[in-house]
Formats: sequence, C-alpha cells, structure tokens
Amino acid sequence: MQYIYCDMEYLYYLYCMENMKLKLARVEKGLSQQDLADLVGATRQTIGLIEKGKYNPSLNLCVKIAKVLNRTLNDLFWYENK
Amino acid sequence: MKTNNKKPFLNMDERNKQIAYKVISIMYFLTIIAIQGIVIYRQFALGQEIGDFEDIAIIMTINSLFLVSALLYFGAIQVRRLKIKSIILIYAVFVVLGTLFTYAKYNIFQSPGLSFEQLFDKIIIVITIIGLIMGFWILLSFLGKKRLEKELE
Repeated sequence: MQYIYCDMEYLYYLYCMENMKLKLARVEKGLSQQDLADLVGATRQTIGLIEKGKYNPSLNLCVKIAKVLNRTLNDLFWYENK
Repeated sequence: MKTNNKKPFLNMDERNKQIAYKVISIMYFLTIIAIQGIVIYRQFALGQEIGDFEDIAIIMTINSLFLVSALLYFGAIQVRRLKIKSIILIYAVFVVLGTLFTYAKYNIFQSPGLSFEQLFDKIIIVITIIGLIMGFWILLSFLGKKRLEKELE
C-alpha cells in the first residue's frame, strides 16, 4: 500500500532544494539559462545545476547572479529550515 | 546582450575548475602511489640497486617534500600551535619508521646484512635527514602562518 505524502513543509523543502526562486527570477527577467550564464561568467550547465539544487555556488557567483537578476541573496538563496 | 564572460582558459567556470581540481588531485595521488609502488617493487622484489632507479627516487622525494611543504605553507594543513611535545613525538615516529625501513632494507632483504656499526651509521644518516626535513617543514608552517596573519591585518 502506498501512502501519498503531502506535507507543506516537505513541499517547501523541495521548492528550496530545487532552487525555484532562482528559476522564477530568471524567467521573470526574460533570461534563458545561457543568457544568465553569459552575464555572470559561468556555463549553462552550472546555472542548470544551481537551479536543480545539485551544485552549491560560491558566494561570489551568488552575488553576481543576484545583481544580474536585481534581487538580494535572501530572495534567491535563503530558505527557512524548520 | 552585454556579457561578463571573459572566456578564461578553456572557458572554465568555478564548477568546472572544482571538478578539474578534484580529478587532478585524485589522479596525482594515484600516480604518486603507483610510482612509490614501483620503487618498492624494484627495490625489494627485484632487488635492484637505488642507482638503477635513482631518477624516479629523486623525483618522488622532491615531489613528496614539496607537496607537504606547499600544503603547510599555504595553510592546507592546519597547524594551530607548534608544541615541542608533538614535534618530538612526530620526529620519533618518523625516526622509528625510518630505522625499521633501513633495517628491513639491509638486514632482511639483503644477505649478508650489515653489521651493527654499519647499520648504526646508516641510522645516523636517517636521523639527520629526518631532522632536517622536520626543521624545514616547521620553518615553512611558521612562515605560512606569518603570511596568513599578514594578510589578515
């Protein structure tokens, strides 16, 4: 028997793990992953992995991304861990 | 669209560099282990003289010395405070290992082995060289610490 686990905290966790905030901010700005990568001096794969939550960028890269997207670091990379 | 991508060497970004460093470190470690294995095999299994593979031995020695020195100087190995007690302990461990190695080399893998006096002469050399190496490493870790403190000022 399989239980469907639907917990808001868990969903929020997934939301943060896959960095949807970054993805949304990028799409809102009308940039593709490649555009953002070019603007911050990274590769498209790196941006993709950051959005997937599979790569932890350096603080330098985080700041560059935040500046390009006109957001703060909190907006893009901070999440509450309850 | 104006881009900040300055197309560095091989167009690597920080993630590419991290992966490259990791792969290079692992391959370097494996290479060193393999070369060390070859040296030990030649020396003990084939019974070759050091002169037969002196070039490899010199490269290995210099490489290992510089590796530890660079790690100490650039702060990869954290030395909080140099305590005399721990320095003496490390020195003693190295001397014991060096003595065992020398004994094994001349009196187990070679026959006839060396006399006690001859062995003692060899061990004196081992003790001196280990002392010099330890002194060099202590100096470098001290200089590295100074450099770091200067950067923090």
